[in-house]
Amino acid sequence: MMKISDLADNTGEWLRGTGPESDIVISSRIRLARNVAKYPFLSRANAKQKKELEELIRTKIEEAEVYPTLNYINLSELSSVDRLFLVERHLISKEHAEGEKERGVAFEKSENISVMVNEEDHIRIQVIRSGLELRETWKTIDDIDNKLERKINYAYSSQFGYLTACPTNVGTGMRASVMLHLPALGMTHHIEKVFNAVMKLGLVVRGLYGEGTQVSGDLYQISNQFTLGKSETEIIEIIEGVIPRITSYERMARKALISESREQLEDRVWRSYGMLKVARMISSEEIMHLLSQVRMGVNLGIINDIKMKTLNELFILTLPGHLQKLEGRELTSSQRNIIRALYVRKRLEKIETLKG
Amino acid sequence: MKCESCNKKYATVHLTEIVGNVKKERHLCEECAQSVNTQIAKVPSPTEILTNLINQVAPGINELSKIICPVCGLSYLEFRSHGRLGCPMDYTVFRKGLIPLLEKMHGSVQHVGKVPSRAGKELIKKNELMQLRNELNKAIEKEDYERAAELRDKIYEISGDNDENK
Repeated sequence: MMKISDLADNTGEWLRGTGPESDIVISSRIRLARNVAKYPFLSRANAKQKKELEELIRTKIEEAEVYPTLNYINLSELSSVDRLFLVERHLISKEHAEGEKERGVAFEKSENISVMVNEEDHIRIQVIRSGLELRETWKTIDDIDNKLERKINYAYSSQFGYLTACPTNVGTGMRASVMLHLPALGMTHHIEKVFNAVMKLGLVVRGLYGEGTQVSGDLYQISNQFTLGKSETEIIEIIEGVIPRITSYERMARKALISESREQLEDRVWRSYGMLKVARMISSEEIMHLLSQVRMGVNLGIINDIKMKTLNELFILTLPGHLQKLEGRELTSSQRNIIRALYVRKRLEKIETLKG
Repeated sequence: MKCESCNKKYATVHLTEIVGNVKKERHLCEECAQSVNTQIAKVPSPTEILTNLINQVAPGINELSKIICPVCGLSYLEFRSHGRLGCPMDYTVFRKGLIPLLEKMHGSVQHVGKVPSRAGKELIKKNELMQLRNELNKAIEKEDYERAAELRDKIYEISGDNDENK
């Protein structure tokens, strides 16, 4: 079995900062909720049924050859830090980390694909890609779903579609979301307008880690709210239709900032970069803000000695679970602030020496 | 002002009772007021008020709240307070309550997306069986027993491994 620490050295492919619109669109993600027929949903399943389901789904994932190299991790055997680490990696959800009894996750080495077992639903398939790639992402996840469905009898009704534990997911069982970096719209206070427009289309805006999470680092997730009454491709078309309008709006706001107050903007970006290089303690909230500023600076060509991939990765690598994994022990929040500052400084120094 | 009941403590509770057309004021201390309060007509609990209200406004909801899924044991009321269903059967059992809820959430109550190929096969099978039965009836009407026997065998063959969907 693989160890969580094997993952700590690198990050998922979806953070590479490639693909269409990747200056603003960090990633595209789709998840499908599926349940096994003739079993209760997890809130009503007893320990024996949970165990049966876990075993059944785990073996079927293997048999279905969903993907040649899937690692399976049993979550009930992991420490809370390891589970937090997997949440930060977007390989499992918060609910899944905090769940009870037998549950697990199968994921592919590049971390593009993960299949959660016994989350809120029996099966949650997830595919993430860098940039705006919802159509490609759908193709991949549709294929995985087809392979699994040959082995597993899903709970399905011709009227309500795929039956899920929560009626907000019933129908397609699909949530498609796009993660956007919108610092200029935030700075110019135009972000509210975007939210209103998006909500009229039946879409919702959330923070970095989905439902109920706060927005930080100017990172927003836009996803569909409805799952019944529209087909998967229709839902994707609605999202793909609105994203380019938001990204061009963000680019316009950036241009306006440059033409109206270039010095101020440059000062902000460079100060943030400087802070990352010299600070001795950085809180998780502060680093999100600093990284966001620097990321925009790189996009605008103000800073050009740091790669997009490095910045995208730092958003994840400096999170509490990652820092504790890196240190190999549990840390208090002030200890984490010290380690975080040290870690970022080292990463940025490496860039300096490479340049020299 | 002293309490008119015990005449010791200060009256802090002032009650106004109206019996018929007569208005009567009473001034009591905290303790005496409490013992009086329990004597005064029983005040209905919030749940009772709510239940009464529900019964008046929409008697259907009360009926609905009594439904319990025979498969997983979840009651409709439990579902509404936690928002999670207990098993796939709940979609059938709580259908009446779910329809308006789904309409509100999704603006639709009919799935139009992906169909699992397994369900697809069964749907196809069902359709095929229906057609064969129609043909069989026609054959019997026409007294074409040879054709009827053929159709009967075919029906057995198709439905044989699929008892549930007969």
